Amino acid sequence: MAKAPRLDNHPQVITANHLATGDVVYLTRVASWSRDIGEATVAPNVQAGAALLAVAQAQAKMNIVIDPYLIPVDTSVSPPRPIQFRERIRAQGPTTAGRTSDAAREDRHVSV
Amino acid sequence: MYQYDQLDQRIVEERVAQFSDQVKRRLSGELSEDEFKPLRLQNGLYLQLHAYMLRVAIPYGTLSSKQLRGLAQIACKYDRGWGHFTTRQNLQFNWIRLEQAPDALADLARVQMHAIQTSGNCIRNTTTDQFAGAAHDEIEDPRVWCEIIRQWSTFHPEFSFLPRKFKIAVTGSPNDRAAVRVHDIGLRMHRNDAGEVGFEVIVGGGLGRTPFIGKTIRDFLPKQDLLSYLEAILRVYNLFGRRDNMFKARIKILVHEIGIEAMREKVEAEFAAIRDSALRLPEETIAQIAAHFAPPPFEALPAGIAPEYAQAFRTDFDFGLWARRNTARHKQPGYAIVTISLKKEGEPPGDASAEQMQAIADIADRYSFGEIRVTHEQNLVLPHVKQADLPEVWRALKAYELATPNVGLASDIIACPGLDYCALANARSIPLAQQIARRFRNWERAHDIGELKIKISGCINACGHHHVGHIGILGVDKAGEEFYQLTLGGSADDSAALGDILGPALNQARTVDAIDTLVETYLQLRRGNERFLDTYRRVGLQPFKEAIYAAA
Repeated sequence: MAKAPRLDNHPQVITANHLATGDVVYLTRVASWSRDIGEATVAPNVQAGAALLAVAQAQAKMNIVIDPYLIPVDTSVSPPRPIQFRERIRAQGPTTAGRTSDAAREDRHVSV
Repeated sequence: MYQYDQLDQRIVEERVAQFSDQVKRRLSGELSEDEFKPLRLQNGLYLQLHAYMLRVAIPYGTLSSKQLRGLAQIACKYDRGWGHFTTRQNLQFNWIRLEQAPDALADLARVQMHAIQTSGNCIRNTTTDQFAGAAHDEIEDPRVWCEIIRQWSTFHPEFSFLPRKFKIAVTGSPNDRAAVRVHDIGLRMHRNDAGEVGFEVIVGGGLGRTPFIGKTIRDFLPKQDLLSYLEAILRVYNLFGRRDNMFKARIKILVHEIGIEAMREKVEAEFAAIRDSALRLPEETIAQIAAHFAPPPFEALPAGIAPEYAQAFRTDFDFGLWARRNTARHKQPGYAIVTISLKKEGEPPGDASAEQMQAIADIADRYSFGEIRVTHEQNLVLPHVKQADLPEVWRALKAYELATPNVGLASDIIACPGLDYCALANARSIPLAQQIARRFRNWERAHDIGELKIKISGCINACGHHHVGHIGILGVDKAGEEFYQLTLGGSADDSAALGDILGPALNQARTVDAIDTLVETYLQLRRGNERFLDTYRRVGLQPFKEAIYAAA
């Protein structure tokens, strides 16, 4: 079995789902939430991310978002690119082709 | 078709009112996510990768045109203009907002629909043959029994918190189109030596992490005993099924661990105790339910092929191609069953736009007594079309890109939503299905290959039924990269079998080539009219394995 790569030392952002809409959202620099990962606040590593996670969890308690968690990102590109494939799909929407999928990708990159 | 009575309607409306209140309390913070999650799941509302997903129950895959229009309207009003038909004969909306979910459920209730029994550890929506009431080989319409099971199982207090979910499938035909041997309980209608119709009861089938073909627990069950016997099985499962390990909680594990004989003994003992209880179905009740499924007013037409159909078949190549694959024999002379492929090249398997749903509802009204069915292979069916109308129906479908002539062929792929939508998936299914379909786009070749069931699951939960695909494909995550493990020789029909693992998993690019190589290997090996599955059963795994891995 291949070992999962160690991701703790990568820069991190916080993601969650918005409670009322279900949208994938990211914690921003002003402690609000955006659907655009480009607006996310970036912590240099998991340790630094812990403080951000505390902010996010407080917002989960206030019923703004559900289940926030840290994800590793590559900040050498803009906007930051999630390292994990699953998170890239969450950030960008379904990768499928077709009319229905085009409809699925509409209406992104709007702050909530 | 079954029409709600006042009680059905009241139950569904009360449920909507309860859920509206629960959502309000969740949004205000009165309910925590932990408190709310089981409540939303009991109403079919999941949180998926990108958004909430609403799974709408389509009991035994039967829809009226009015209901399909209702679904189209919900797709436009609350979602992004489309829906996804699933291997459970249900419909999923992928982009529902929590704050609007109660309104969507209220709109569903207006067309006698709901999202109950589509999640949670209860008896789920019962599935059946999509050709029910129309198939030429049918003994009796299985929907009568599906509806009886629905009425018994909905909110059954004893079975609302089972060790795990529970799925029942029914076939009324010896040619199983409902995959009854891979369900928790499969019911197969047949005649005994005295000529009476009853059920073979199969228990402990299932796919997922630990697949099993179900075992026959009773060869013949009289119809009036159906609910007592189901209750006996469920009661034994509820008592003895494991609750300590979610992966070992399905009834298939219980049957496997204690053996079918011990299971039968326990069930029969329970059955003997409750057989003559209120669960015994009076003839009158059966007749009342059966009346809802009375055949539509068919015209008396001569047997044989209608001249209009024969003429179009001879003169229009494209129509002929479609008619060969997408129509099936009807029990009523002069009629045919039409399968509408939702597997157009370039579109995700099982997706239909609201516009297409509206069009199908209109076509059903005009040509099929307003009835539509959903298949577990993620297609739709017009069950009762006059043969003479087939050319017109084909043209009407074609106008909405719904006349892909590929039912049962290599591009008619079952694919779960996979990692593009599903929070549980390890790999994507839909893009792979789309690439494979493209590879088999040449109709001449596809029709030459003939019946080939390719089924793709994006994780071990096997929503894409990969274990029972002639070629099964399971997505796995290898250190962050998508790989696909192939199985061969699976089948979900009356000769049900689990596929054999071909070898080490392949990456996505190699997978598409490998499918092609498997098909070429079959074409070289086949004798006469053998299907892929027949050839595989004759020659076994080895030649296919060599074709894929020898060069590596």
